[in-house]
Amino acid sequence: MTQGNGLHNGRRAEIERQARLLARDNRIAEPAITRVLWFPDNEEVRLLEVDDTVPSTGDGIIHPFYFRPSPKDALPSPSALALIRPEEFGKAKLPPNWGDWSNAIELETER
Amino acid sequence: MSWRSAFLLQAQSDNRVRRAINSGHIEYAHQLHYLQMATEKLAKGFATPEAEVCPPAKVHHAFVRFQHALKRRQDIQHQLGYPKSDSFTWFVKSVLPLAEKVEHLAPNFAGTTQPNPEYPWQATPAHRVIAPAEFEFPEFDARSPEMARLVWLVDQLLRIVT
Repeated sequence: MTQGNGLHNGRRAEIERQARLLARDNRIAEPAITRVLWFPDNEEVRLLEVDDTVPSTGDGIIHPFYFRPSPKDALPSPSALALIRPEEFGKAKLPPNWGDWSNAIELETER
Repeated sequence: MSWRSAFLLQAQSDNRVRRAINSGHIEYAHQLHYLQMATEKLAKGFATPEAEVCPPAKVHHAFVRFQHALKRRQDIQHQLGYPKSDSFTWFVKSVLPLAEKVEHLAPNFAGTTQPNPEYPWQATPAHRVIAPAEFEFPEFDARSPEMARLVWLVDQLLRIVT
């Protein structure tokens, strides 16, 4: 493995750690969340949460909200959070650069 | 300046105008108008990636959706002075019904038959045409706890985005 790959893998591991942390915290904050999906990326945490208490996207396009890093909250990377209703799962258009639905990794976290 | 920063800056400016016209001499509709615009731009700012070079797309129910995202964020919870997530979640949820009403004050939601703070509308069933300047907007009572919470939340969010 090259040093570059090592850095790449370390960054990816940190992003995944943050994704799992946010997924856990979000499930605690909102019990209505039924699924949390992580779309892996090396620069930002990309989470999509299924929650039947949120309004529909309206246009069938997923528009995440983007949050800056907050190292003191153990969130050193920027993050994007998308919210959809259950009936939109697998159907709504993902944001640019998120790939397709098959890129998603479902995060199972204990409440 | 990025699109994100520009939307957040303009939201701050709208909110300053809202506060500046908080006076019995100026019709309440104007405060509501600036509150609605500030909340819309605040949500659009957060819906725009830092490095985005294109103007943000229209986001359906942006402010209400933003509130749903917000209540999940422990970093913002801490910045707003809430040590516990359950109290912050309760607070944001308590604001949601009024946030939805404020979002519907936008002319594209209200159309010509519902109250909005910018354009006259025709009330049904009396068919009376009403100007925002003469309407008291009882659902948005500035003295209500719900409005006080919403205004505080908007003020604080616009404070921490700088």
